[in-house]
Amino acid sequence: MEGKPQSSSRTPSDFLNSVIGRQVLVKLNSGIDYKGVLACLDGYMNIALENTEEYVDGKLKNSYGDTFIRGNNGMISRNGVLSCRDPVTDTTFALSTVLYISAAKST
Amino acid sequence: MADINPTIPDTGAVEEPIDLVRLSLDERIYVKLRGDRELRGRLHAFDGHLNLVLGEVEETITIVDVNEDTNEEVIRIVKRNSDMLFVRGDGVILLSPPSRA
Repeated sequence: MEGKPQSSSRTPSDFLNSVIGRQVLVKLNSGIDYKGVLACLDGYMNIALENTEEYVDGKLKNSYGDTFIRGNNGMISRNGVLSCRDPVTDTTFALSTVLYISAAKST
Repeated sequence: MADINPTIPDTGAVEEPIDLVRLSLDERIYVKLRGDRELRGRLHAFDGHLNLVLGEVEETITIVDVNEDTNEEVIRIVKRNSDMLFVRGDGVILLSPPSRA
């Protein structure tokens, strides 16, 4: 592991930018999980993943090379990071449709 | 049409997720939709909503029937083909370029 996220990760957006290039777990509202390397994301939280694995009920169902995930479906999380805090309210920040932000096992 | 950031040349660089879609233009792609539907087809056009125009499309619909007597779940796969299909973007969950489409 490259260690903890920098304490300079102040905003949710900074946090997300800081995990580009890392293995992430993306959980959709439907409960499907996608694991892959976060290639990039945008303001809608559209997400591009590389080497993506699709897990339904925790079971590997599919794998894709590159994947585009439409932003309204998702929520993101990442290895070793437990939360993304809003510096103003000091509360855990919810990203529109986020269910939660959890830690994924690093590979 | 694919008019998002038209100034960015098609260099193969993926700087934002939509670039991945742009790079798949005129390629066969796999699209996962809400409602247990999947599409495989050639991407003719898209926009920022992920509205898509697909050609030579095979749609796969997965239907789970529950047998009322035995409570068994029976999974049925229904396929249909369309020459040309417009897909409203809000139904799109995931889109993956050619590799496995």
